[in-house]
Amino acid sequence: MLGRLAPGVCTQVTMVVNNQQTRNMATLKAISIRLKSVKNIQKITQSMKMVSAAKYTRAERDLKAARPYGEGAVLFYERAEVAQPEDEPKQLYIAMTSDRGLCGAVHTGVSKVIRNRLNEPGAENIKVICVGDKSRGILQRLYGKHIISVANEIGRLPPTFLDAARLADAVLSSGYDFGSGKIIFNKFKSVVSYAQADLPLFSRKAVEAAPKLAVYDSLDSDVLQSYMEFSLASMLFYALKEGACSEQSSRMTAMDNASKNAGEMIEKLTLTFNRTRQAVITRELIEIISGAAALE
Amino acid sequence: MSAWRQAGLSYINYSNIAAKVLRRSLKPEFRADALKRDESHVRITPWANGRPARKYISGFLLT
Repeated sequence: MLGRLAPGVCTQVTMVVNNQQTRNMATLKAISIRLKSVKNIQKITQSMKMVSAAKYTRAERDLKAARPYGEGAVLFYERAEVAQPEDEPKQLYIAMTSDRGLCGAVHTGVSKVIRNRLNEPGAENIKVICVGDKSRGILQRLYGKHIISVANEIGRLPPTFLDAARLADAVLSSGYDFGSGKIIFNKFKSVVSYAQADLPLFSRKAVEAAPKLAVYDSLDSDVLQSYMEFSLASMLFYALKEGACSEQSSRMTAMDNASKNAGEMIEKLTLTFNRTRQAVITRELIEIISGAAALE
Repeated sequence: MSAWRQAGLSYINYSNIAAKVLRRSLKPEFRADALKRDESHVRITPWANGRPARKYISGFLLT
């Protein structure tokens, strides 16, 4: 019985030894594979950072030109003291995000503002227009019933006024008669910071009922209608530009951090790799020497 | 009421058509730059009850 058992034990022992050997070799190989993949990821994040840095400078330049559009439109509502109509509870929220991720909390921030609003009472009167696939992805599952329109293909190229005009056209022709509303977007502050902000939306009725509309000269309803349409387009344009600028700057920081983290990981992996390699060499040397000593 | 509004255009449509014509009538050295602003890639899909309702609206007057 012992005789039958012994060869089995023997093979098991050699298998264990073999396993250990292969495992060591494998870890060495696994580490080198991992090291390579982390290095590749670092290269990718670095080049993404470069790309978004270039896009960011352009977006910031564009934003400077676009700012008067939004500020002018908002100032009109402020000066005329347009208020939210009491008898019209219907509201429209427009979430300005984009299609692309890997840029920190830009999209979640905007979606969170809308989500919080939808959790408050009176949410049944709120409809949402999602600009950009990211906000749609976040809001779709729980608040899908509130979404009346989705716009995508945003963020690949810098937004143009025509984009904003088509969005405004979609808002006006959606058939949803809102009394008031908000455009939620990321307002760009500096390269490292942005914050969610909103622009007001009002129906024509609300503007006509504004107490201080008389400060503006020669306004008939035709002019007002035209102006409302234009101001919607220009506010959307401004929000698109602010959003694009914050997104690029945020992506820049995110990719910079990712490259840094990858760098740290590479350092650690190189250290383990070298240590393991050293260990393997040492073990092989010991094996050879002890083998030679056994032969003497 | 202006003629374009009677024809069913909004101010946005009207001014975009005007802008388009203006861009196309620029001198060639300025036209190339201006035509870059004449593009729009946004796709707008109307939604109802948590899913897309129709394929998408093509901005028939704007494109």
